Amino acid sequence: MPGFIAKHKKSLFILFLFAFLFWLVTIQVKNGRFTFLEKPVLAVSGFFERIITGSFNAVVSVGKGYLFLVGTTRENQHLRGEIERLKLENAVMNEVLLENDRLRDALNFKRLQPPASVMVQVIGRDSSPFSSTVTINKGSHDGIGRGMAVITAEGVVGKVQTTLPNTAKVMLLTDPGSTLAVRVMRNREEGLLEGKLETCALKYVSYYADIQEGDLLVTSGLDGVYPKGLSVATVVKATKQEASAFQTVVAEPAVRLSRLEEALVLTK
Amino acid sequence: MKPRVYFIILLLLIPFQASLLNPLSFAGVKPDLGLALLYIIGLTTGPVEATLAGMGIGLIQDIGSAGLIGLSGLTQGMAGLAAGLLGSKVLHISSPTLMLFLAAFSLVEGLLIAFFMQVTYGAVPFFSILVGRLVPQAFSTSILGFILLRLAGKKGILPLLKRRALQKEL
Repeated sequence: MPGFIAKHKKSLFILFLFAFLFWLVTIQVKNGRFTFLEKPVLAVSGFFERIITGSFNAVVSVGKGYLFLVGTTRENQHLRGEIERLKLENAVMNEVLLENDRLRDALNFKRLQPPASVMVQVIGRDSSPFSSTVTINKGSHDGIGRGMAVITAEGVVGKVQTTLPNTAKVMLLTDPGSTLAVRVMRNREEGLLEGKLETCALKYVSYYADIQEGDLLVTSGLDGVYPKGLSVATVVKATKQEASAFQTVVAEPAVRLSRLEEALVLTK
Repeated sequence: MKPRVYFIILLLLIPFQASLLNPLSFAGVKPDLGLALLYIIGLTTGPVEATLAGMGIGLIQDIGSAGLIGLSGLTQGMAGLAAGLLGSKVLHISSPTLMLFLAAFSLVEGLLIAFFMQVTYGAVPFFSILVGRLVPQAFSTSILGFILLRLAGKKGILPLLKRRALQKEL
């Protein structure tokens, strides 16, 4: 026996390591993902990602600033028109907001406060095709904390998973570990949206619920992470199976997550 | 290879993969730098060293992502072992046909993880992941691996490493 071990010690060591990793994975399936070493790795990778992305953006901005001036005048005119249109829309919205506040006061409802937010830039993306996370260029120094919602004008992006002083990691809503309480905007049916990498799946929707292709899913606010009413995803397929009490609903995120560059972190 | 080379690889792998390869991504798919490097390590060193390197690279990738820690360590370790065994049979390491093996390794590694995810999380859209992510990633990783092999071959790094590995074996 000792002769066999001495002869095959390298192979046995490798076999032991494989067994150890397999054990490590299986206990995480049961107890949830370990977070050890996450912060040191994010600190090192975040530091280099800031340098690399900063240098890359500087080169790109030089290119954009000096080489791609063609069409700037036309774009400027278009943007001025857009600003005018948005000013008008904003004035109408302000009126509606004031009216809403008055009515809420009359009904003794709590006033809605716009959430405080921090603008962030994506500086890195997950390398694995089986998880969806991005690194952002701001962290706890800017008031960003674990579990905070990340959104864009189009809708929900995900939530903050890990924070460091100057960087943070955001779990996108397509990540298999992501869950989000949502509601169908049209008929207020509720469900839980789970990430499925390319798309999302709406879970626990009753067999008898009326879910149609094109239905917009919005945050229900029940999970305490996202404010109520933010766009999340659009239903692309809903199928009913006789044997199941629930429907199988596939939804596509409202935000194009593969092209995400900037986002807002809701800090309150 | 020397431990400090592995240390530098592990230190810079995630930032390079996460930010520098971003411009090369298409529809969210980009080459796997870790696997391409591991393949070169496997071809030039040996099964034991490549397996250990694969486990290290995989673990770092796991910690840097939101996945289960150890899953990529397991699959990259297997990929390292396979690349190391392949390397012990191959002498001409900058041959373009070796890229087919790299694409196959990438695909098999992805399928292993997809299978595990199917068992763990259930109802993962297997076909869309295969077509939308794994096949394009295998293709792009093999191209990246080919470029890296060519660059290292031209600088004389690969023949030197291979010679050292052969001397060690003898």
